[in-house]
Amino acid sequence: MPSASSTRTGFDTALLGIKGLALVAAGVLVLAFPQLAPDAFILSVGVVIASYAALAVSWNFVGGFTGYISLGHAAYSGLGGYGTALLILEAGWNPWLSLVGSAVAVGVLALPIGFASLRVRGASFVIVSIALVLILLLVSQSWSDVTGGSNGLRVPRPFGEDVLRPEQHERFFYLHVGLIVIALAVWWAIDRSRFGTGLKAIREDEDKAQALGVPTFAYKLTVFVISAFFTALAGGMYALWFGSLDPIFQFSILVGSYMVLMSLLGGIRSLLGPVVGAVIVGYSLEYFKSAYGDTQFHLVALGLLLALVVLFMPDGVLPALGSLVDRIRPDKATSIREMTAAELVEKNKEIDEARREPEEVSR
Amino acid sequence: MSGSLLLQSVILGLLLGGLYALLAAGLTLYFGVMRVVMIAHSAFLILAAYLAWWFQRETGLDPLLSLVVTVPLFFVVGFVMQRLLLARLRPATLTMMSVLLTFAIALTIEGLLGYVFSGTQRRIQLDYSGSSLEVFGANIAVVKLIAFGLAAVALLGLWALMKLTRFGQALRATIQHPEAARLLGINTDRIAGFGFGLGLATAAIGGTALSLDSTIYPSLHWHWIGPLMAIIVIGGLGSIPGAAIAAMLLGVSQSLLQVPLGTTWAQTVFYIALFATLMVRPQGFFGGRLAQRF
Amino acid sequence: MIGNRKTRRGALAATACLALATSLGACGLDSGGSSEGNDDEIVIGVSLPLTGDFSEPGKGVQRGYEAWASYVNDNGGLLGKQVRLEILDDQSSADRVASDYEKLINQEKVDLIFGPFSTRLVVPAAQVAKDYGFLFVEPAGAAEEVFTQGFDNLFYAAPAIADDHYNLLAEEIIAMPEAERPKTAAYATMDDPFAQGTAYGLKDKLEAAGIRTVADEVYPPNTTDFSSIAAKIADTEADIVVGGTQYQDAVNLIVALQQLNFQPKMAAFSTAPTNPEFPEAIGAKTEGILSPTGYTPDATYPENQTFVEYYTEMHGGPPAEDEANAWTTGEVVAAAVEASDCADPSPECQQQLIDHLREATVDTVVGPLSWDAEGRPESAHLIQQYVDGKIRIVLPKDQAEADFVAVKPAW
Repeated sequence: MPSASSTRTGFDTALLGIKGLALVAAGVLVLAFPQLAPDAFILSVGVVIASYAALAVSWNFVGGFTGYISLGHAAYSGLGGYGTALLILEAGWNPWLSLVGSAVAVGVLALPIGFASLRVRGASFVIVSIALVLILLLVSQSWSDVTGGSNGLRVPRPFGEDVLRPEQHERFFYLHVGLIVIALAVWWAIDRSRFGTGLKAIREDEDKAQALGVPTFAYKLTVFVISAFFTALAGGMYALWFGSLDPIFQFSILVGSYMVLMSLLGGIRSLLGPVVGAVIVGYSLEYFKSAYGDTQFHLVALGLLLALVVLFMPDGVLPALGSLVDRIRPDKATSIREMTAAELVEKNKEIDEARREPEEVSR
Repeated sequence: MSGSLLLQSVILGLLLGGLYALLAAGLTLYFGVMRVVMIAHSAFLILAAYLAWWFQRETGLDPLLSLVVTVPLFFVVGFVMQRLLLARLRPATLTMMSVLLTFAIALTIEGLLGYVFSGTQRRIQLDYSGSSLEVFGANIAVVKLIAFGLAAVALLGLWALMKLTRFGQALRATIQHPEAARLLGINTDRIAGFGFGLGLATAAIGGTALSLDSTIYPSLHWHWIGPLMAIIVIGGLGSIPGAAIAAMLLGVSQSLLQVPLGTTWAQTVFYIALFATLMVRPQGFFGGRLAQRF
Repeated sequence: MIGNRKTRRGALAATACLALATSLGACGLDSGGSSEGNDDEIVIGVSLPLTGDFSEPGKGVQRGYEAWASYVNDNGGLLGKQVRLEILDDQSSADRVASDYEKLINQEKVDLIFGPFSTRLVVPAAQVAKDYGFLFVEPAGAAEEVFTQGFDNLFYAAPAIADDHYNLLAEEIIAMPEAERPKTAAYATMDDPFAQGTAYGLKDKLEAAGIRTVADEVYPPNTTDFSSIAAKIADTEADIVVGGTQYQDAVNLIVALQQLNFQPKMAAFSTAPTNPEFPEAIGAKTEGILSPTGYTPDATYPENQTFVEYYTEMHGGPPAEDEANAWTTGEVVAAAVEASDCADPSPECQQQLIDHLREATVDTVVGPLSWDAEGRPESAHLIQQYVDGKIRIVLPKDQAEADFVAVKPAW
């Protein structure tokens, strides 16, 4: 979260108060949601949106810190789902142990994948991320002895038969929220660390960062593995809730693009951006569906929304709001433009404890 | 595997590779002039195929005649798209954001195709759909031969345009060194727009060729974009000959691998080759030193 | 129209939502349905693939359901009440189909539900229905795996499951004299539980009878290039080609085989040949092609004559298999409702309906149907063949409209 600068004005204090209040209100609302939801269907929509948010936050470890846009994160969520299902079905593990075990396995698998794909930048990286989803789709469809082929797999319920369906929704809603909170906490911790500063230097200018002694490749690979781990957790959690896996929907480029759209829309540089984006996109998807359900119009809407965000709001909604606040700020002097990577790293060396987040001040 | 099956597979692979080569050439062109990866290329390919199908259904004429309309139309669309949309993106994040923007265009096209023509699979019905020529015991379908011929002619035309005309010179200069080209008085922005139009025109030709012997449906473009992307990375981003060679090699490999492995596993050859290329030679086999950066 | 009203209400709700921006997903997602508290009608919820991969058969099922509802309403309704269908589009997606039934049951408060189309969508939908204790009669989940998931609320409203579709053909082939019987068989199947089930059901029986499998190709749904598969099959020179197909893949495979000038003695494909557009699509070279079907408009059951008459009047042409299966679903549910004298979402009523069907035999447009404990129907499919340019029933012999042609003319 943006913290106040050292020269805190009355305006800043007021702003901080408003932000804090909004945050508390949002938190209470999220926790009370299962009680507020008028019926089990709305509750299930809530679980889907929470799942989107968990995926978007996980995606944002790579996208937000390093600026590497992966359109293929569905690969990790899909693997997380399949891994969880297979550990339960084949190895007979406890469902929750399977969930974590499969996420760890995906994290390990992400090492060689990251090693290959992070060697290239920009366009090639995106191509590789798409290719990964497509190859996994082919494998999951073909290797039917293990993956069930096109039929997919059924995932046993972690809760017994006596837990009714609305009750299941409620439990999984809280589980997803818990996962989101953990992921956000890790993101926040990285954001304030030296590691995070190095990653952001990569985002601004990878060559300069490297020249200044940031171990770019190791940093990128580490955050890539963390991202894959959380994405797999979110994918496995969804699989446990939904109860069946279909390769076409597990390894779908569309799901990967949802994650990108949500994060971009909310703002990839801010902690809560992906969550806000997920709520907006998840809600819109449901809305398009109920309003234009029996046409392909929902795809057009998604395409246009993505194009608008890319063209006019590449920094996202939250930063756009931030700059709006800046405009009404009484003293504009504190407003600092984005720093270059060189300045950032230099500054980081000076202030080793890195208490403040120089780049985020007043953004 | 019998000899005739082997020959048959090689021929099928070459015919398929020709189409891949043409389409990959278009993708390479966009990347060359603007460092843009055009995800929507295969969506335009399917759009062209739909237009050919629709043209044939409405008029009863041969779908090849639809080229007269679609090629200039796509050229203009490509030019306009480059000038109005892609040129607006910030240079610093151009490569990443262009991927997302063209991805959005692909989704929009897919959605509109589904909206207008529904999700039903379509196939052009021609008198000569089932006919074939026999060569050394292998049967070559006439429609596939026409599609290959179309691709080959278009590729040759593209080559001639690039090598023999003043426009081609300006285009190549823009690809190789935009700043220097600008200093020489070339309007690189306009040339980039034309390059885009040219790339999209190849999609129009490819789509018409595709429609002759394949079923089409709105989401088909996902099946094409993966292999095409793999081809241009393996060939080396920005290199048209590289893309063409990679396309032919991978087309034949896919076709040969289908015999022992079956269709699904055989498709993975593109991605395995892609990952292998990244491990061994991240800039691709024919690409310049620039490729790795983008 | 319903669609219009929905849109306008949705837009209003969305505006209110943005203004409040508080209650998360809870607003704007109401459907505009007004089923609650209305006792003079029975609302039946359905989710169908009206867009996406299964949209073509999905729309067939929709026509069947709508024809059935309109027929029931013209004839005094169900338990004296009018029937109203609430149809949602699941976009051929498993995620959506579950959420659709969730919505129908919880938000629309429907009294009864009908099943969706395609095995892949039936399984997630049946799970939701089971969790809420609803009776689940479905028109299109024929694959064996549907019946092995422990769904005690599920009934398949057609004569036989996928694996048994070719049973009559298998018997016919096995009964042939040794010299005329095909020796080798090639199989090409879509990787889809239904399509694959049909072909593999036949494969198991032919293999047991000593007919050698020389090719067994599986391709993913949405494969468009069949030239390599066709090349492999042609290379084996198999006597019989069996396609576990849906529609377009069968057309593509046949055209690719024609391009290679491969002439098997027998060729059987599921689903596609019964489609009226099929002959034109493969260039009219249909002679001798075999196909199983669960339905024929010419069947002499009294229910069927009423159905064909009513449907033809409504749509100007006879119904196909998808429409018939949908109508059958309606008939089966209606029979249970009338026998139990209830049609409401309460678990007691739904359980009564389920218990009734477990024991019952229902007369339908595809003949009398009864089910085993897992919901498998216990009848057989007919075998059709193109004879003299027209698709006719050739097996079983007592219902045959033409004689079975054992050696297919060249295509």
